[in-house]
Amino acid sequence: MAGSGTATDLALSGLTKVYGTNTAVAGVTLRIGAGEMVALLGPSGCGKTTTLRMIAGLVEPTEGDVLIGGFRVTRIPVHRRNIGMLFQNYALFPHMSVAENVAFGLQMRGLAKAEIRPKVEAALSLVRLGDYADRLPSALSGGQQQRVALARAIVIEPNLLLLDEPLGALDRNLRENMQVEIRQIQKRLGITAVLVTHDQEEALTMADRVVIMRGGKLEQVGTPEQIYSRPASRFVASFIGTSNFLRGNVAGYGGGMLRVSLAAGGQVLVPWPDDGRREVLISVRPEAVALAPLAEGAMPEIGVPATVQQVVYRGQTTHVHMQLADGEPFVAFLPNRVGESAGQSFAAGDKVSASWSPQSNWLVSDA
Amino acid sequence: MAARLSGGGGALTYFLAAAGLIFIVSPLVVVVALSFSEASIATYPPVGFTTAWYQRVIVDDEFRQAFLTSVTLALASTVASFVLGLPAAYALNRWEVPGARTIETILLSPFILPILITGLALLQFMALLRMRDALTNLFIGHVLITLPYLVRTVTASLKQVDRSLEEAALTLGASPWRVFWRVTAPQITPGIAAGCLFAFMVSFDDFPISFWLSNAENMPLPIYLQNSMTKVFDPSIATMSSFTIMTGILAVIGLEKLVGLRRAMSV
Ligand SMILES: Nc1ncnc2c1ncn2[C@@H]1O[C@H](COP(=O)(O)OP(=O)(O)OP(=O)(O)O)[C@@H](O)[C@H]1O
Ligand SMILES: [Mg+2]
Repeated sequence: MAGSGTATDLALSGLTKVYGTNTAVAGVTLRIGAGEMVALLGPSGCGKTTTLRMIAGLVEPTEGDVLIGGFRVTRIPVHRRNIGMLFQNYALFPHMSVAENVAFGLQMRGLAKAEIRPKVEAALSLVRLGDYADRLPSALSGGQQQRVALARAIVIEPNLLLLDEPLGALDRNLRENMQVEIRQIQKRLGITAVLVTHDQEEALTMADRVVIMRGGKLEQVGTPEQIYSRPASRFVASFIGTSNFLRGNVAGYGGGMLRVSLAAGGQVLVPWPDDGRREVLISVRPEAVALAPLAEGAMPEIGVPATVQQVVYRGQTTHVHMQLADGEPFVAFLPNRVGESAGQSFAAGDKVSASWSPQSNWLVSDA
Repeated sequence: MAARLSGGGGALTYFLAAAGLIFIVSPLVVVVALSFSEASIATYPPVGFTTAWYQRVIVDDEFRQAFLTSVTLALASTVASFVLGLPAAYALNRWEVPGARTIETILLSPFILPILITGLALLQFMALLRMRDALTNLFIGHVLITLPYLVRTVTASLKQVDRSLEEAALTLGASPWRVFWRVTAPQITPGIAAGCLFAFMVSFDDFPISFWLSNAENMPLPIYLQNSMTKVFDPSIATMSSFTIMTGILAVIGLEKLVGLRRAMSV
């Protein structure tokens, strides 16, 4: 794997796939830098797999182009694209040993036996399976099988590594270890990678950038931090983590802050570069919210009044579920300290004032 | 697979299996027993023990000719069904062939058409085309009825092959041709073997097609047996039948040695 310094970038241009009357992928345009790992994330059926398979060449696009290293590969068959791919079910050849599986791609490239052996050994030791070379895949655990598949994919020094829900069949702990392991190897080798997942934690953990897909289109592209704290739409904000949404009207603008009076009563300040909007939708993450008791009939100066409905102890946090005056739900995640539950002082029926720092406010589109 | 059946359902299953076995095997045992009988006509129970019938049958030129014709015909139709059936099944299942379902139905139709009528129709058709070579005609007729077995078993095996294995091989740089030989073929070998065994036995055992298409010089064993039986009914008939049974057993053992019967029959 010494020669894997030739990282390639990937570009998708207007990539579209239509099945009959159903548009699975609708004009996806995206640039992925050399050595970058991008996660395609979205609900079931949004076109993630179809997009990945078009990049691989396993599905022929109806329209648009795939460019690897600036070279248009749209009409080039899969087996000449030099791509490593991981499948959810590992797809190891059951009639070949671990070493034969890993050697397969090198054999297809016509390498001599003497060249193949050291490469296979290096790849297997990279995934810490050096001692398993002679086993059959059926004699390995799921995690080991996927590591063999990873070795098999990277030993050919691919231009691209494509992963379609590679860890979907593993249990939670193993999945987290594998996420870290795959990510480390991908970074070490500097391979450009595209990961398909519908597990948001996996996307946030592994990817340099996350692409949120919805109905065959790109909804938002950004770093995990941007996607989480600066969601573009209500859809993204509720798909990644949990979010509270507040409707309001802009009542004033000063010092780079919008003053928004909320439909549920109360008001908040939102740092925003312009005051071009009148009606806004604010997204607030539950972990940003602090609660304080509120006298009956009082109105918080900054924040929103709410009625506690349920308090749920969750270990690290306590979730306080509330209802706002306009009937909308609102939730706060309060951090717990050992021996002291943050929600202890609240009970169902209590009137509270929910508030948070202005920086926690973010305006999203209502779609 | 090795789980034991228990309870009422289990008992019933064992009973039915045993009954089936008795009905299939005991007539065969009777035939084999008769082939060693010293009596001059084939009646049960056999009298004494002699291998005289075997010695006689083995040197009987007509029998040898018929046996050879049948084996040749069965091997040839099996090979032809393999050569035609494998690509046909592959194309129908892996490529987007327009009208694939219709083509598959046509290929499998000998399964449901009455074979005796198919044979008669073939005879008339071949007479019309002035096809006079009985061996060629027999070969064509046998391929017609053995091909569906290959198409069926290969199709069933192909459906069981995990497509992502083939896709993984493609991404690793294997051309579709090499994907087939390195990945697909090893997965479907048991199915192919089972199909070949069926094809061989169906041809070797065929009466209704051969009945119409054979002549005095090219007479497959089942036709020859039937002819002999109408002349004499001595234990040599049972002896010849025993050879047929043995051929079947040998074919099954061969398959077992080659790929393992259980794997082959699991399609
Ligand atoms: N071969 C096909 N023929 C017809 N429609 C298809 C085909 N493959 C996918 N689709 C449709 O295209 C859309 C996108 O499918 P795709 O598999 O890309 O979704 P996905 O985002 O990977 O979903 P999931 O998270 O469930 O895997 C779906 O509506 C699906 O039904
Ligand atoms: Mg998918």
